[in-house]
Amino acid sequence: MSGKIHDLGYQRYAGPRRAAAQRWRVIARNLISTSWKGWARYKVAMFGAMATTLAAGAAMFVLKDNPVFNAFGDITTRFSNAIIPKSIEWFSRAAFILSVTVGTRIVATDLGSGAFVFYFSRSTRPRDYVLGKFVGLAVLVSTLSLAGPLVLAIVRLALASDASDAAQEVAHLLPNIPKAIAVGLLGTFVYSTVPVAFSTFARSSRTAMALWAAYYLVLCGIVSEIGEHTHSSWVGALDIPTAIDAVAMKLFHLDLFTGRAGYIDLAPALISLLAQGTLATIVVVAQIRRAHGSGVGGQT
Amino acid sequence: MSKIIATQGLGKRYGAVVALDKVDAVIDGKIIGLLGPNGAGKSTLLKALLGLITFDGDARVLGMSAATHGSEIRDRVGYMPEQEVFIAGMSAVELCTYAAELSGLPRVEAIQRAHAALYYAGLEDKRYQPIETYSTGMKQRVKLAQALVHDPQLLFLDEPTNGLDPHSRDDMLTLIAALPERRGCSIVLSTHLLPDVERICDQALIMHHGRVRFSGTIDELRGARGVDQGLAVEVKADAARLAEVLVAEGATCEVTSPVALVVDLPDGATNALVFRVAKAAGVQVRALHVRRESVEAAFLRVIGEAPKAAS
Repeated sequence: MSGKIHDLGYQRYAGPRRAAAQRWRVIARNLISTSWKGWARYKVAMFGAMATTLAAGAAMFVLKDNPVFNAFGDITTRFSNAIIPKSIEWFSRAAFILSVTVGTRIVATDLGSGAFVFYFSRSTRPRDYVLGKFVGLAVLVSTLSLAGPLVLAIVRLALASDASDAAQEVAHLLPNIPKAIAVGLLGTFVYSTVPVAFSTFARSSRTAMALWAAYYLVLCGIVSEIGEHTHSSWVGALDIPTAIDAVAMKLFHLDLFTGRAGYIDLAPALISLLAQGTLATIVVVAQIRRAHGSGVGGQT
Repeated sequence: MSKIIATQGLGKRYGAVVALDKVDAVIDGKIIGLLGPNGAGKSTLLKALLGLITFDGDARVLGMSAATHGSEIRDRVGYMPEQEVFIAGMSAVELCTYAAELSGLPRVEAIQRAHAALYYAGLEDKRYQPIETYSTGMKQRVKLAQALVHDPQLLFLDEPTNGLDPHSRDDMLTLIAALPERRGCSIVLSTHLLPDVERICDQALIMHHGRVRFSGTIDELRGARGVDQGLAVEVKADAARLAEVLVAEGATCEVTSPVALVVDLPDGATNALVFRVAKAAGVQVRALHVRRESVEAAFLRVIGEAPKAAS
C-alpha cells in the first residue's frame, strides 16, 4: 500500500447485466453460502435433522408392527405409520436451532453493520432484499423441516413393498408424500418468517436471538400449557411447535388425545401458523421499507 | 451529451424543515467537490440524486430522471459512504464480488472485477482477510473498491479520507485523482476537508441551508469576488520605499518584511505599474505573483462566514 496504482489492464465491462428483478437470487445464494460457514450456523441444525431422520428411519424398520395406543388405551395405528407425525417435533427443534443461529441474524447483523447502505445504494429494492432473505432462509429450513419428513415418507413406502399386499399398501401410503410435503412447507414458512421479524427489531443478533427465544420458548410454552390445561384449541395453537405437531397428527390421522398437540384441531393450528407467518412477513416488509432510503448518505 | 447532474427546482422538506430549497444546478466535470457545512443538504441531495427519496422539481443524473429511474441510476453510480458498509464475516473479495453481483454482473465477471478493484485500491494480498480485522485505512480502501467494482460512470464519495493518517490520505487522494483517466468515470466528492478539494477537484458545488451558493470551477470559486486578492511582490531590498511610491500611484500596500509586500492595484492598473514604479524608485523586483484565495477562504466567503477581505 505504497500509493502505487495497480490496474491490471482494466477495460470497462460492456456485457449483459442480470435483470433487476432477479437480483434477489444473489441475496438468497449469499445467505445460504454464508450460513454454511462454520459449525454454529447451519451445520449444527442439519446434523440434528439428519440424526432425527436416521433414528426415525431405523425405528420405523425395527418397530414397524408395534402398536401405538391413544390416551384411552385403544390401538390407533402401527408404529411405522406413527413415526412420521411423531418425528415432526424433532424436525421442529432442528428448525428452531437454525432459526436462532441464522434466522435471527439475517436483518439484525445488517442493521448493526451498516449493510443497508451497502444494499440500498445499489439497485437493490426493498422487495429484492426481503425476497432474497426469505427465500435463502426458506431453502435452509426446508432441508430440515421438509426434507426429513419427505425422506421418512419415502422410506415408509419402501418398507411397504415387502408386504404381501404391497400394491394395496403402497396405494394406501402414497398420500403420505404430499402430507409430508404439506407439513414441511408449513414449518418452512413459519420458521423462515417469524424469526426474521424479530431480527428486524434489533441491531444486535444476540438481542434478536434473545427476543425470538423468549417468544418461542417462554411465551409460546406458557400459552401451550394453558391450552393443554383448558383443552382450548385456539389458545394452544398459538404455540408454533405444538401447532405444527397438531397439523401433522391430524393430516396423518394420528389421534392420540394426549400431549399438548393432542387437543388441538386442524383449523386453529393451520390458522395460527399461517397468521403468525403472514404477520411476520408484513412486519419484515414494513421494517425494511422504512429503513430503505434513510440510511444512505447519513441521516437528515 | 447530457450533463452528469442537472437539477431544476429540486426541493425536499422533512416536516417543517426545508432540506433542499429549489436547487438549480448543472454539474459537469471530472472531479466535483460537494461542499457545505453540516445540515447544508448534501446528504439529502445525494439521496435525491440516487432516487432514494421523493422530491419536488426535477433531478437528472447521467441523463436519467432520478424520480423515475432511480434503480437504473444506481446501477451506473458507485457510492462510497462515510459510515461503514460491511457485512459481518465477509472478506474484502467476497464483499466486492457480492457488490458486483448485486449490480447485475455475472458471477465469474464479478469475481474477476472484485480482484481488480481491490488491486486498484491497493489491498493486494490482504483481500482474503475478514474485513473486521482491517485498519481504518484498509476499510476505506475496501469501501472505494466496492463502489468501483461494478464499473460505474459516476462515483459519489462521501468523506473518503475521514480518519486516515497523512500518508494514507495522500494515497487515497492519489487513487481518487487517477480514477477519471483510468476508469473513465466522474466523481462527486463530498467532504469537509477543503485541502482535499483544492488538491483534486476541478469543479465545486457549495450548499448552505439547502440552497446552492456556488457552482463552477475551482478557479471560478477562488475568483468569485471578481478580482484576485492582490499581488505578492518580493524585492532585493527596501520594500517600504516601493510601497511608498505605489501608494502615491493609488495602490494599497502592506509591507510584510523588508523584502516583501502585498499590493492591491488601483482599478484599471496592471502588473506593469509595479515594474514601472519600482524601476523609477530604483528598487529591484525579484518576484511577483498573483495571490490566490485558498479554497477554504473562498468557501467561508461563499457561505457568508468569512471576515471581510482586507482592502
